[in-house]
Amino acid sequence: MSVKTFQRGVNVPHYKEFSEGQPISTIALPSEVIIPLQQHIGAPGQALVSVGDKVTAGQKIGESSAFVSAPIHASVDGTVTAVEPRPGFTGASVESVVIAVDLKQKEPQWTKRDHTAMSKDELKAAIKDAGIVGMGGAAFPTHVKLSPPSPIDTIVINACECEPFLTCDHRMMVEMTDALVEGAKLIAKVVDAPNVVFGVEINKPDAIKALQSKISGEKGLSVVNLEVKYPQGSEKQLIKAVLDREVPPGKLPLEVGVVVQNVATAIAVYEACHLNKPVIERVLTLSGDAAYSPGNLMVKIGTPISHVLKERGGARVAEASKERELSLPPDLVGKIIMGGPMTGWAQSNLSVPVVKGTSGILLFSPTMVTETEHSDCVRCGKCVEHCPMFLYPNYIGQYAELGNYAKAAEWGAIDCFECGICTYVCPANRPMVQFVRETKKEIAAAKAAK
Amino acid sequence: MPGQDMRLTISTSPHLHSQDTVPMAMKDVLIALLPVTVISIYMYRFYAVFLIAVCMLSAIVFELVFRKVMKKEATLFDCSALVTGLLLALCLRPGTAWWVAVLATFFAVGIAKELMGGLGWNRFNPALFGLVAITLLAPLYVGINPSFALVRPSFGSLDVITQATPLALMKQGAFGQLSLSQMLIASPGGALGETSALALIIGGIYLLYKKHISWHIPISIIGTVLVVSAIWTPAGIAAGIPLFHVMAGGVLIGAFFMATDWVTSPITTKGQIIFGIAIGILVMIFRNGLASTEGVAFSILIMNAFVPMIDRLTRRPKFGEIAFGEAAVPAKPSVSKSS
Repeated sequence: MSVKTFQRGVNVPHYKEFSEGQPISTIALPSEVIIPLQQHIGAPGQALVSVGDKVTAGQKIGESSAFVSAPIHASVDGTVTAVEPRPGFTGASVESVVIAVDLKQKEPQWTKRDHTAMSKDELKAAIKDAGIVGMGGAAFPTHVKLSPPSPIDTIVINACECEPFLTCDHRMMVEMTDALVEGAKLIAKVVDAPNVVFGVEINKPDAIKALQSKISGEKGLSVVNLEVKYPQGSEKQLIKAVLDREVPPGKLPLEVGVVVQNVATAIAVYEACHLNKPVIERVLTLSGDAAYSPGNLMVKIGTPISHVLKERGGARVAEASKERELSLPPDLVGKIIMGGPMTGWAQSNLSVPVVKGTSGILLFSPTMVTETEHSDCVRCGKCVEHCPMFLYPNYIGQYAELGNYAKAAEWGAIDCFECGICTYVCPANRPMVQFVRETKKEIAAAKAAK
Repeated sequence: MPGQDMRLTISTSPHLHSQDTVPMAMKDVLIALLPVTVISIYMYRFYAVFLIAVCMLSAIVFELVFRKVMKKEATLFDCSALVTGLLLALCLRPGTAWWVAVLATFFAVGIAKELMGGLGWNRFNPALFGLVAITLLAPLYVGINPSFALVRPSFGSLDVITQATPLALMKQGAFGQLSLSQMLIASPGGALGETSALALIIGGIYLLYKKHISWHIPISIIGTVLVVSAIWTPAGIAAGIPLFHVMAGGVLIGAFFMATDWVTSPITTKGQIIFGIAIGILVMIFRNGLASTEGVAFSILIMNAFVPMIDRLTRRPKFGEIAFGEAAVPAKPSVSKSS
């Protein structure tokens, strides 16, 4: 079995054992959902509803006329109780539609249609209408990504799931293989791409087997086995591994004739085209060493973290008693992360809702919470050795620390996609990713001032 | 804000960290130096214990004092002062007077490290800087004339420590007195850390295994010394001389423990190989061309000065900056074979 990968990167313990064997399950609805009008990169949506309105699941409640944006839909039947800024997962407040959930929910009736008969433009319109964004976490509107100005020859389905703990893509690959393959083919059809490649890390043999048996004999479709290495699921590294093409700095994958889509996104595309179903729910992984009951959950968009924790138990107490602990005592839970542990966001507010890009909710015990104090760079070169973008995080950090952001940019801060490896390997505990973010902000501000 | 839980830790990604820390790496260096330390103590008894104790203690004191005077927080926990102290002791010859050892430590920890800005900012390897400083300032006291050690007769017999070093024997052409197997396992003559090639190699392998150093610097230094000493053979040479050159003097301790110092070696592997080869060539120039001692120390310090230049010249392109043959940008979309 040939296994491909990119250069550099690092082996991070993957911690998938907590949830990889857990089938996707649903949880009870919360009493209230908070649906941010911006869950994507691009223009925020404008609310189409106001307080007191009755809404049904799948109804469009937010939209923008800008091209780079994605509509927002109600995820439940209910009544709008507020349209106001609410805290989002980044810590900033986002204009949100708050819906009181009806006790009686109608089973949503999606109108099936023959997606094979739809034209490219019809498909793209369906994708846009469904509010699909990159569901791996980046949340870039999918219809924009599927409007490339130059020809595309290959669709790469990002089925790596290289972030530790996360297993939702894995479960979807195993349990929703048909929808995934159909979705990938639809994506290829929209951009006229003759090839579809599924890039899967080899720690998911059941997913590889399921995909292989599903696509056998299909022209243009293939599965590529990838080494288990972080960040294998980063677009540029994935394209390098799968096709041996390098996307130039500052450019997008379409530059080398490729569009990358994540597993959950491809499934959402299938559901949008075949069922006319918008993105109102997603599968996420609840995990972490302190999680009482790790698993892969189908959760409605807008569900507060606190509700997910209430439904599945919060922290794990003693191993023997397995009792639920809802109050998250600090000796049990030190950190709650939305997304993966390498790129996700730490949360302090449990009313923050699940959004389209939420791939996981992780509960870390205090022992997993790493120190934040750092010392001077000791020039060990580990960050340089492992940086998948071949940058110099050491110099970026040193210059940014001194306030010399122009120099930090010169050593590659702008090309950094913040995978976190430099900070992960640094023996001096230096927060390189933070320095990179600072530099990007300062450089953008300097550009704007000109 | 509703739902706010102030007890949860908020920090930016990544939320995982490798087990690597500076103090742990330094402790591993101390562990890696243990075999040669034991052999040097076995060989030189109190002379070795005395020098190691003086150097390590004064390293701690100088680090504390310098940081206090410079109004910086203490960094003793990083253990780098202990490493510098031990390395320096291992570079000294038995019988070296206590004040010479203290002076050397002063230059190593006080001047080369702390005055330069502390760990990470020093341009020169502190231990070697201290060694070279006393070699230049107090040459008569660092073992060039071993009889000076007689000032400390209370330590017992000096037969062992007054023995000529293997390198000196080589220079005199007295190859008959050299034994490759003895030099490998344990033999007197020279500095504390030059008593056993095998002990140094074991320590080096430990550091390689722990991934604190990579093979590039040690192998390029040792390889270059082997090659150059095989080609460049001044009059009066016996067979097997390249191996003698590697095992005699400071080549092994320099290659595994000094030149690989994180702070004072190049960042990229390409730079590390250039650095190692240059050190190897310099060592042989010092040995064959010039009649000086401490050739390894001088060679490494000279190349320390070139590290910023080597780093600049070996700067690598970013990902995607160079097109990788035809694979970079396809001229036309192509259909691959079905799976």
